[in-house]
Amino acid sequence: MKSESLDDKKQAAGMTRTGVRMAIISNRMESIARKMQNTLFRTARSGVLNTAHDFSCVILTADCELLASAESLPIHTLIGPDLMCQAVRKYHPEMKAGDCFLHNSPYEGDSHAADHCLIVPVVDEDGVVRFFVLAKAHQADCGNSKPTTYMGQAADVYEEGALIFSAAKIQSEYKDNQDLIRMCRTRIRVPEQWWGDYLATLGAVRIGERELLQLGREVGWEALEDYADGWFDYSEQKMIQAIQRLPSGKATVHSAHDPLPGVPDGIPVKVTVNVDSVEGRISVDLRDNVDCQPCGLNLSEGCARTAAMIGIYNGLIDHGVPPNAGSFRRIQVDLRENCVVGIPRHPYSCSVATTNLADRVSTPVQRAIAEIAPGFGMAETGPIMPPAMGVISGRDPRTGEAFVNQIFLGITGGAGTPVTDGFLTIIHAGNAGLCRQDSIEVDELHHPLFVSERRLIPDTEGAGKFRGAPSIYAEFGPIEDCTMQVIYTADGTVNPALGARSGGPGGNSKAFKRELDGTLTSLPACHGAMLEPGEFIVSHSAGGGGYGSPVERDPERVLSDLREGLITAERARTVYGLVTTGADAVGPLAVDRSATQAMRASLKAQERSA
Amino acid sequence: MRLACDTGGTFTDLVVEDGNEIRLFKASTTPDDPVRGVLNALALAAEHYGEEQRSFLGKAEMFIHGTTRAINAILTGNTARTAFLTTEGHPDVLVIREGGRIEPFNFTVPYPEPYVPRRLTFEVPERIEANGTVRKPLDEAAVIAIAEKLKALKVEAVGVCLLWSIVNGEHEKRVGDLLAKHLPGVPVTLSHELNPTLREYRRASATVIDASLKPLMFQYLDSLTNRLREAGFTGRTLMVTSGGGIMDAEAVARAPIHSINSGPAMAPVAGRYYSDRDFDGLAAIVADTGGTTYDVSLVRDGRIPWTRETWIGQRFRGHMTGFPSVDVKSIGAGGGSIAWVDDGGLLRVGPQSAGSTPGPVSYGKGGAEPTVTDCSLILGYIDPDFFLGGTMVLDRAAAATALKTKVADKLGLSVEEAAAAVFTLATEKMVGAIDEITVNQGIDPATAVLIGGGGAAGLNAVAVGRRLGCAGVLIPEAGSVLSAAGALMSDVSSDYAQMLFTTSRRFAFDEVNGVLAGLEERCRVFAQGPGAGALKVTVEFSVEARYAHQIWEIEVPMASGRLDSPADLEALKQAFHDTHQSIFEINDPGSDIEFVTWRAKVQCQLREGGTGQLPIQKADGAALERRDIYFSRTGWVDAEVVRFESMPSGAPVAGPAIIESSFTTVVVDPDTNAVRTQGGGLRITFQ
Repeated sequence: MKSESLDDKKQAAGMTRTGVRMAIISNRMESIARKMQNTLFRTARSGVLNTAHDFSCVILTADCELLASAESLPIHTLIGPDLMCQAVRKYHPEMKAGDCFLHNSPYEGDSHAADHCLIVPVVDEDGVVRFFVLAKAHQADCGNSKPTTYMGQAADVYEEGALIFSAAKIQSEYKDNQDLIRMCRTRIRVPEQWWGDYLATLGAVRIGERELLQLGREVGWEALEDYADGWFDYSEQKMIQAIQRLPSGKATVHSAHDPLPGVPDGIPVKVTVNVDSVEGRISVDLRDNVDCQPCGLNLSEGCARTAAMIGIYNGLIDHGVPPNAGSFRRIQVDLRENCVVGIPRHPYSCSVATTNLADRVSTPVQRAIAEIAPGFGMAETGPIMPPAMGVISGRDPRTGEAFVNQIFLGITGGAGTPVTDGFLTIIHAGNAGLCRQDSIEVDELHHPLFVSERRLIPDTEGAGKFRGAPSIYAEFGPIEDCTMQVIYTADGTVNPALGARSGGPGGNSKAFKRELDGTLTSLPACHGAMLEPGEFIVSHSAGGGGYGSPVERDPERVLSDLREGLITAERARTVYGLVTTGADAVGPLAVDRSATQAMRASLKAQERSA
Repeated sequence: MRLACDTGGTFTDLVVEDGNEIRLFKASTTPDDPVRGVLNALALAAEHYGEEQRSFLGKAEMFIHGTTRAINAILTGNTARTAFLTTEGHPDVLVIREGGRIEPFNFTVPYPEPYVPRRLTFEVPERIEANGTVRKPLDEAAVIAIAEKLKALKVEAVGVCLLWSIVNGEHEKRVGDLLAKHLPGVPVTLSHELNPTLREYRRASATVIDASLKPLMFQYLDSLTNRLREAGFTGRTLMVTSGGGIMDAEAVARAPIHSINSGPAMAPVAGRYYSDRDFDGLAAIVADTGGTTYDVSLVRDGRIPWTRETWIGQRFRGHMTGFPSVDVKSIGAGGGSIAWVDDGGLLRVGPQSAGSTPGPVSYGKGGAEPTVTDCSLILGYIDPDFFLGGTMVLDRAAAATALKTKVADKLGLSVEEAAAAVFTLATEKMVGAIDEITVNQGIDPATAVLIGGGGAAGLNAVAVGRRLGCAGVLIPEAGSVLSAAGALMSDVSSDYAQMLFTTSRRFAFDEVNGVLAGLEERCRVFAQGPGAGALKVTVEFSVEARYAHQIWEIEVPMASGRLDSPADLEALKQAFHDTHQSIFEINDPGSDIEFVTWRAKVQCQLREGGTGQLPIQKADGAALERRDIYFSRTGWVDAEVVRFESMPSGAPVAGPAIIESSFTTVVVDPDTNAVRTQGGGLRITFQ
């Protein structure tokens, strides 16, 4: 509660002036979050952090509201950091400067157990908690029962096996609690790698703390509180304006995760989206879905809420809305206790909560918005996680040392939007393309791995006025004298990413093993493949869905895709209705305007009669 | 006499160094024929010295040139039709890149197009493994068939980047030979020769960018050298490079990627000299303010930091040059940045810029959006009648009207309050850019001096320095032409690298010494060729290393070019731990260290002691000037206006004050002191 005098002062200063001050402080806040990120990226030891950039750094207010997140992974950050800070407050009502908490409980705000969070309260000279800084980093290993951080087949948290920390105080007075450090070192594979990543993450939160303390001394803590209020109000206004560009409407959209062990029929997901343009509000109802399932796919509460919100922020097509607690005020996400896309009940496992089923919530939400509001929303983003995004492990014959790490050797999946083609390297809806793709040379140097092929696959884009990203092919295996395990949990082998507003589906994901004789054997969608030297695993990522009818695509863009080998002549003709003249070999290939028009008219007629 | 000339987007800067004196000249850049702008600047200089251009140029032994020619060709898509040859199975190296994206919820920006389209990409049947072993031999017949296709497609340049060519370059070399034979006359760039660095995307990117620049840069440099010769110049023509050194123009024509970042790369070279001369060699934050960009770089312990992640355009949206380059961070903030209020009532500055055309409102060239330059006019910082020494009269009233309607009224502020707010926000953006680079390099701004370069630097350099808590601010006497001044201080230099992976636990002494000997030999050849006649030749060795499991190497200087004993290795390990601590605040002495790339840099020094001084002019006896200037802290104040050219060294000027020269204006805030140093720069400290 603010005192009246402060409100009066604000009035006297004139509300419009806050626009100036707010702009300045929000620049400061974003650069603090970026500083935290830079530190973590450049000093981390595992590939998943220092190559793939799978981590996030955020600032929250003292009442645990998300304030600044720089460029963090959406699925990591929208909702979850707030719940985790609340957990820290609940268990540690007294906090001091120098405290740091390790938290990864998916039952209390974390996304999944592999995302270790370090949370530091920013305490001023008078001992008052002013902010929280939080760094969340996906571990290369988190002590699961198998060498993977995605235990899709785990019936419960016991079979999953991760060490679960609930607001555990890992530092007091800036010194490590060695008890926790020893626990991690004993349980987590390749402990030196974990230790290096812990140091990097700690560096990030401590730098954030130092910078915020300096900012507080400079401008005063009350002014900062005032800023946060103003920034949230501004963000809420921007959100209202964005929502009011959409018409009101309601849509229920179905989606489904592929079958996998523990859920032989797959997991259907139903989302109901309601846009209230007059009031400037959007709600998503996820309650009419099945209970928690005996597998690792159950969403944590943080991921369930965030996944729905990602669909909304993607669908607004207005990146001027700051994603923080202020704009969140205009969103309502209804969840149910013990629901597979709701609030998980212990001991159901949430091992894979950030990716597979979360995307099956985000993508129908963005598609529902497209159905309600032409020119908004998006098609479905390609589901993950094919073998090229699996966790590899084994013993490196070059050094004799054990290795375990997640690789990012080729994942695409961007959905067509109302204004652009699918972003090729989006990875998945919750990631937004912020993670990187591995360099072949870096992977071959770091791991006993050989990548024989990596290329885009023609005709796998979700066709549309704005098409989805195509699938990518990757083939890799162990080097001589090495046996390698690749564990992955692929969705999208049965249910592709669907298009929106008459757009087509993206290509399916696939997995094969190339045997010693060169033949291909199909592999299950959720699997741990053991590869001997000379054997390879083949991965097809899922393509993204298209937005709008392909016969409305600018013929020049179709021509460009054809010339670039992203689509074949057959598909250009039968799906996009493109007729060309000439050929690249003998003269310029060009659009035959009138023949294309005629072809498209007949395709439209066929579509109508079908 | 030596000449240094930097062709920027708006102005062509010339510095003439005659013995121990320098003189500065500025002409407009002529984008249709940039050599004309160079000749115009030379004509201004000849006139100043009262000589015919021919006899003036005849006295110059060296012409050092920086240009935005290459970068502009890339940005406007006017490069050669280039093909990309890659290892079989990996055609999409330039398409997939290294992933990454900015602005998670911004779907209005499409995925970037590859630098070379897929239809001009060709897979070469061959494969080398990480340890250099040939897994699949090169199929020469297939290469010849590709050459025939390239001919039919009328390809004008070829970039070849095969996997692991940095460990074993035989296949790339052979492809180069076959192309020379079967595709004669078409320039080719081989990745292991140009940029032997790990990570195939950035190496391939550098390779195709370099190839695509070859035809046009050859033509440009040919035209430049010919026209200089026709005008009477008989000396040596050198080009400044992205690496902060200078190279013969012919060498740059053979590897034109060196010239991509040539302008900004010179600023830290100049900054290092000025910090040494005027601020006891403190770490220097060098900020170069242009019309549209603000370039920041750092110098610490006399070393200029390098980066391998230079982007053309925005990070992840443009193309990575992948080429070692002086680490310069550019943000879209400058005198031309536009001030506006968004629909949520928030003040914004940039990223849109009015550029040099139409330019700020006050230029009267059709600009309608208020810019930072317009605000500095409103606040009294710039004298509308004395801009660029009076060569251009500015319209203050028009600036004020535009700012009132577009910004001040919307925020409920007075015009000067709004202008001051714009300045504060622009300052904050610059501070943010500096913060990011200081974190990356681990420098505490409190122990550093901020060096302001560029014509507009002085307007808020003091404010930026104060906000960062710097030890002081320095505006060098040649600050307005910082890059050209830096070019005069540069050495003729070259940089060689070779990859050899080894670790501290199993250190391969013999192989490492073999690599170092090879690098040293290449330096020696360079010193006897392009470096012949230098006053001094230095060869510095360094290694890029990291802790086991880390991925981003840091560069560690080596004490000598050989590692003969375990004690030498211990010293190198300690140097690594120390460097890591100094950059990241942490180290891990128990961890194994991985050594990846070995480097040698040869520098051939041409001149003793930086560059000459700008002579101090006698005061012309005109009455002391004063004018009202505005700060948000104080409101309007009456301030002294001092002519920089006639400021004697040692005499302090207390803020609030304005110090003006023909090329720049320095705002001295209240509670700060400015003094001209013995060397000639303006040293500003906070009370």
